[in-house]
Amino acid sequence: MCSWSRFLGFSFFLFFLFTFSVPWVSASNGNVVPLEVAEAEKALVLAYDAVLEAEEAGANVSGLLARLNLGGEYLAEAYVWVRLGDSESAARFAGLCVEVVGDIRGEAVGLKEEAHGWWVLDVSVRLIWSVFGMIVIVVVGYVVWHVFRRRYLERVLGSRPEVVSDES
Amino acid sequence: MNLEEYRTMFVVVTLVLALVAVSPLLSVVVPFGGGSERFSELWLLGSDHMTESYPFDVAVGEEYCVFVGVGNHMGGSEYYKVYVKFRNSTESLPDIHKSMPSSLDSLCEFRFFVGEGEVWEMPVIFGFEDVVVVGDLLSVGNVVINGVSFPVGASAVWDSENEGYFFELFFELWHYDVVSHSFRFDDNFVGLWLNITGS
Repeated sequence: MCSWSRFLGFSFFLFFLFTFSVPWVSASNGNVVPLEVAEAEKALVLAYDAVLEAEEAGANVSGLLARLNLGGEYLAEAYVWVRLGDSESAARFAGLCVEVVGDIRGEAVGLKEEAHGWWVLDVSVRLIWSVFGMIVIVVVGYVVWHVFRRRYLERVLGSRPEVVSDES
Repeated sequence: MNLEEYRTMFVVVTLVLALVAVSPLLSVVVPFGGGSERFSELWLLGSDHMTESYPFDVAVGEEYCVFVGVGNHMGGSEYYKVYVKFRNSTESLPDIHKSMPSSLDSLCEFRFFVGEGEVWEMPVIFGFEDVVVVGDLLSVGNVVINGVSFPVGASAVWDSENEGYFFELFFELWHYDVVSHSFRFDDNFVGLWLNITGS
């Protein structure tokens, strides 16, 4: 009886030791993944969000996408090892993923700001040319109208039959 | 035409030309065009990038190559995931009408980012290990994909009508939804039927 209770107690001890010494989190699909892999997943998504914002601002993000792809390959590899039960390899590949995508957010923010600067310049140039073009068209239209109107009236009045008074 | 009609015509022409002059500025705030359909492509090609070269009768210990590819026409860069799954003819397939992926666990996955109008393609070299035939039942112990062996424990009974043990290797496309901050099944999958011969 005593040996059984010792065995049971030792089993519980090992179970809790294993559970709390290796950090695990639950993934969205129900699989349990090590914390490092979940963090790599989060880092990749945050980097992607930043790249998307830079792209929407008009930046060329092809270089950042190539690096995100490398991060994605490492993360996929990490998930392979999670499925095969090798948490050490999974954590190693997750670490590589975090390393690759680590600087992407900062660079994406830089590209976004640069693209925003170009956008402001572009809009300013468009605004100036649009206003200038509109003013030119309105002024030219006004002048042409007045020239046309004067010639029209001269032509119409010139061709009108004169009323001759015969009072004399 | 009298003078009043000429004046109206001048005003209209001037306004149209003024509108043309401000169109570069308007294009910044008013989206012109761009109403095309947004979608993703998923394809599977044989070893020589042709559909004629799909492997069908596959032997244990041999390697076979297919190419899986994705094209992005979603209007911006996309984050994709392709799950590789393996099933026999009775196990579940994705239901694209209900937007439901297959309930089977994936063997492995590919994660990648594709820019608008660009494509991604990856060779998938696969083979089978630990294949055992007992009576009219063939069991596959492992599927080897790109050099990594994945345990599957799938089995199929002899199909006397079509004469073979049939399995399907299929690929599900998922994309990252920035609104829900999670991956969603893209209602896209491609599969490859295989007749596994014992040796």
